[in-house]
Amino acid sequence: MDQEPVISARNVRMSFPDGAGGRVHAVDGVDLEVARGEVLALLGPNGAGKTTLLDILLGLTTPQTGDVTVGGRSPRVAVQSGTLSALLQTGGLLPDLTAAETVRMIAALHADPADADEVIDTAGVRPFASRPVGKCSGGQQQRLRFALALLPRPEIIVLDEPTAGMDVSARHEFWDRMRTQADEGVTVIFATHYLEEAEQFARRTVLMDSGRVLADGPTDEVRARAGAAYVTATWDPTVAELERVPHVVRADREGARVAFRTERSDELARYLLTTTNARALTVRPASLEEAFRLLTEDSGHAGDTARPAATVGPEEVSA
Amino acid sequence: MTVTTTPQTRARGSYDLIRYIVMDFRRNLRNVGNSFFVIVLPTALFLFFGASMDWSGAPVGVGNVSAWTMIAIASYGAAMATTSMAGSAALEIHQGWGRQLALTAMPHGAFIVAKATVAVAMAALPVLVLNLAGILTVADMPPGTWLATVALTIAGSLPFAFYGLAVGLSFRSDAAVGAATGLLVILSFLGNAFMPLDGVLLDIGRFTPMYGIVALARYPLTGGDLIAMGGGATSADPLWIVLANVVAWTAVFAVACLLLQRRRTTRR
Repeated sequence: MDQEPVISARNVRMSFPDGAGGRVHAVDGVDLEVARGEVLALLGPNGAGKTTLLDILLGLTTPQTGDVTVGGRSPRVAVQSGTLSALLQTGGLLPDLTAAETVRMIAALHADPADADEVIDTAGVRPFASRPVGKCSGGQQQRLRFALALLPRPEIIVLDEPTAGMDVSARHEFWDRMRTQADEGVTVIFATHYLEEAEQFARRTVLMDSGRVLADGPTDEVRARAGAAYVTATWDPTVAELERVPHVVRADREGARVAFRTERSDELARYLLTTTNARALTVRPASLEEAFRLLTEDSGHAGDTARPAATVGPEEVSA
Repeated sequence: MTVTTTPQTRARGSYDLIRYIVMDFRRNLRNVGNSFFVIVLPTALFLFFGASMDWSGAPVGVGNVSAWTMIAIASYGAAMATTSMAGSAALEIHQGWGRQLALTAMPHGAFIVAKATVAVAMAALPVLVLNLAGILTVADMPPGTWLATVALTIAGSLPFAFYGLAVGLSFRSDAAVGAATGLLVILSFLGNAFMPLDGVLLDIGRFTPMYGIVALARYPLTGGDLIAMGGGATSADPLWIVLANVVAWTAVFAVACLLLQRRRTTRR
């Protein structure tokens, strides 16, 4: 696409004191361009810098270095004009207001807001509209935050872990609503650590850890970049035969079968089928979760603080 | 190529601050605890101690004892209103409502204007209700004095906005703001608000924060004269003592807010 990026961030850095005399680099030299209408997942473990980066894109935090423009202007101006809106992760609601009152109150603060009742319906707030926010469930509060994000009729919506605290069906429902927005041409940027969500909803994924972008591209390619395909074959090679196989990142024997992790599944499969007597091949792309784990493991380098790789979405290990 | 609505071509309305203020005011009014302590309790106090005592009608300055009591209790109600409003505003900001507001067209400065407006309105409520109760019962002052004391009572509640804000900034809990509001009963007692003090208590009281604003609000009535339990003037506070108390405590609370705010921003 030859379009101007609707969001452009260059060399953004932000660090905080870590309380022990040093500094934590929450965002460490991030470049990001987002085209109009794109749906982008920002994927990373807790503490990867996702929230800080989103705060910077929203103008809630001023980065120490770097430039951010949204629609060619500063994020704050984009927010004030209603071009840019967001669903924030936590807080942000007054417990003694009802859901509907919250929508109306925030609507009053936008220059050109959507109709409050329409937004209440679109976001699915209607069933609990007259309930005080303090008595709403976590999922209901997320729906309310979504309603608030829709109020300025934004062209870009930023979502910080929008489905946190939702059960599976609520999550599906939420993404259905979000898909409607995306289909209408709204640019969507969402942070998540549900890998499944990135795979299902985002055409582009930016993988972040320790404040840096590890991978950025179409969700399929990000997965591929981690050497992320598995070729399995029924084969009983000698050690020498096994070493001759090209494009192998890793090989494991599993009984009568050999499993290869590879970045070039086609070439590997062709080699196995034409030069060896391997048979019954299966080729399977790694799940985004596997790609994610591989990339974050690979990025571990000297001087970096220890980061538990185990926090990487253990919820759903795909088979 | 598709034509997209560029931000520049959008109809540029403006956000509706008045509507926001009205909604926020209504929300605070609906807060039963707040409204009870700010309006109902002071009014009840006045009806018991200010309007139905044997000495209520005794003359003080250009009015009577009932008016003397009414002014102080109104000051107490107004100070409670600004304390709890400012304290809860600090909590709201801290709890993320500020982030939500930062995602609207309203600039941060307008939030302060809105909160200040709501706080003054909340402070004016007990003052108006109490003065109405005074008019309907036995309180008596010349009309000009009424107006002057009403204005001074409302203005005198402003230092307590800093007080509430300082507490909200330092403790960040509803309970702390509630305790700060509760503490005003003691400060009001020491501030010569509920009954005439004398001796050591009065000497101590002169240095407490409620003393200045109560004395200032009463000034049009008493001209600075202090009264004793039995009625009649005992001694007088010159205006400068009263003003010095108000200015000093305003400065103390405001500087505390400033320091706390700075601590909060540097810790990030």
